[in-house]
Amino acid sequence: MKEKIKIGPFHPELEESVYFKLVANEEQIIQEVEVINGFIHRGMESLITSKNFMQNLILTERVCSLCSNNHPFAYALAVEKLAGITVPKRAEALRVIADEVKRVASNLFNVAMLAHLTHSHELMKETMQTREYMQDLKEIIWGNRMDMSANQLTGVKYDLDEKKIKLILETLQIVQPQLKTLKEKFETDETLRSRTVGVGILPREKALELGVTGPVARGSGINNDARVKTPYALYGELKPKVSLRDECDVHARAIVRFEDAIEAVRMVKDVITNLPEGTTYVEKKPQVPAGEITVRVEAPRGELLYYLQTDGSQKPKRMRWKVPTYTNWEALKVMLKDNKVENATIIVNSIDPCISCTER
Amino acid sequence: MNIEELNNALKTKLNFYELKEDQDSYGNPIAWIKLKEKKDIETVARTIKAYHGRCIVATCFQNDDKTHSIIYHFDIDGLIINTQVDTDNATIHSITSILPSANWAEREIREMYAIEPIGHPCKDRLFLDYSIAKGVLNEYIPFSKISVGITESDILWKKVNEGEN
Repeated sequence: MKEKIKIGPFHPELEESVYFKLVANEEQIIQEVEVINGFIHRGMESLITSKNFMQNLILTERVCSLCSNNHPFAYALAVEKLAGITVPKRAEALRVIADEVKRVASNLFNVAMLAHLTHSHELMKETMQTREYMQDLKEIIWGNRMDMSANQLTGVKYDLDEKKIKLILETLQIVQPQLKTLKEKFETDETLRSRTVGVGILPREKALELGVTGPVARGSGINNDARVKTPYALYGELKPKVSLRDECDVHARAIVRFEDAIEAVRMVKDVITNLPEGTTYVEKKPQVPAGEITVRVEAPRGELLYYLQTDGSQKPKRMRWKVPTYTNWEALKVMLKDNKVENATIIVNSIDPCISCTER
Repeated sequence: MNIEELNNALKTKLNFYELKEDQDSYGNPIAWIKLKEKKDIETVARTIKAYHGRCIVATCFQNDDKTHSIIYHFDIDGLIINTQVDTDNATIHSITSILPSANWAEREIREMYAIEPIGHPCKDRLFLDYSIAKGVLNEYIPFSKISVGITESDILWKKVNEGEN
């Protein structure tokens, strides 16, 4: 006999509101999946067109807290391209530092939630403690634990002096070995492995077909990392090492996130020890002529694309953004099918969903 | 894949289209294609598929003459291909059966702009409730109506007065 199971729209194991209707058989194996969205839809794309370019920087920072640095970063790249502004090298470096610090904290939060969902509470606490170093860093350098407000049109709003550089390097010195230890624990912890290895499979062909990005794609052996495929800021010089796995399961996606975090720390250290001299922004108000542009950045969850269309006025004529979860959601239907109901929330967590971004 | 290869692949299959080369601030190439016939989007989608590409997303906007334009943003191994189709009868040819990655993008266009992607395999709403009319992004809707479902002052005060009584 088939059983209907409903998860959401408000559920302790869901970070944000979404509604799953699952149909399971007698063995509690998921046979059908229906996902209902729209609980956090705010009509932001419409709101954008009623604000000027400066106001929209603030608005893009607030699409969601988890990706609050990537949105203004991509938006600034789009406006600067249309306005013909080249930002100083130091600003590019500072943008990379902010983005990669955010990536470490974001990825660690996701894997900590994975440990929580598999009831590996000690591992969860350890992971959150390591993440806390990055959160403290964000609070000290940028003044906020989530919304860093690092970007501005024509550059960045913050700068690093010797004291702050020392603090970042000292923090990374602590975090770097902890990340490696945590990754080893996630690779070997029997409780965690028993709930994640072979669970939530997304075959490579399906991943290609559905156009997934970020750790979800890389966990299925697909490299579409925007930092490598279309390098921006300093990523062309930094040459990020892309972590690819072919197991295609929840465990592979978690390990990719750890390796992304380890590589992020390497890049922050590289950038900060060779921080270019100079100003942090161009002292010029951007004059945006009529035009259109697409730009991409790599958010912790994957590719973030911005399309901006302007008509020479002070406001965007149209702006559209595509976040990683937008395509990764459809992949959940493949991942959830033929898995046990008890693994449903673990599989959902493995795409690191960001619903506020997706629904806008 | 570069823009020249893309053009060679397309010109054998399409008769009328405009192709413009562009790049971002870091020299990454961007192709802008404008199709004359909206059904040609299927040919472009098949070409993207042949090169193992994907649809990133699609952007719709209303023009001054009330017609609509849709820009599909495709990717082939890092090359962005922005392909524009115009429609004056609120329909487009769905490419979801060719590129499943276009699924959500076309469904969102349907509910926000009331443009029907003909042949789309899914008829369900994506984000908006069925009580909200299709084409909601074509209209101006006050924030108070979105958040509390009331905007006309008569209705608001009627409800307040009812509460007092």
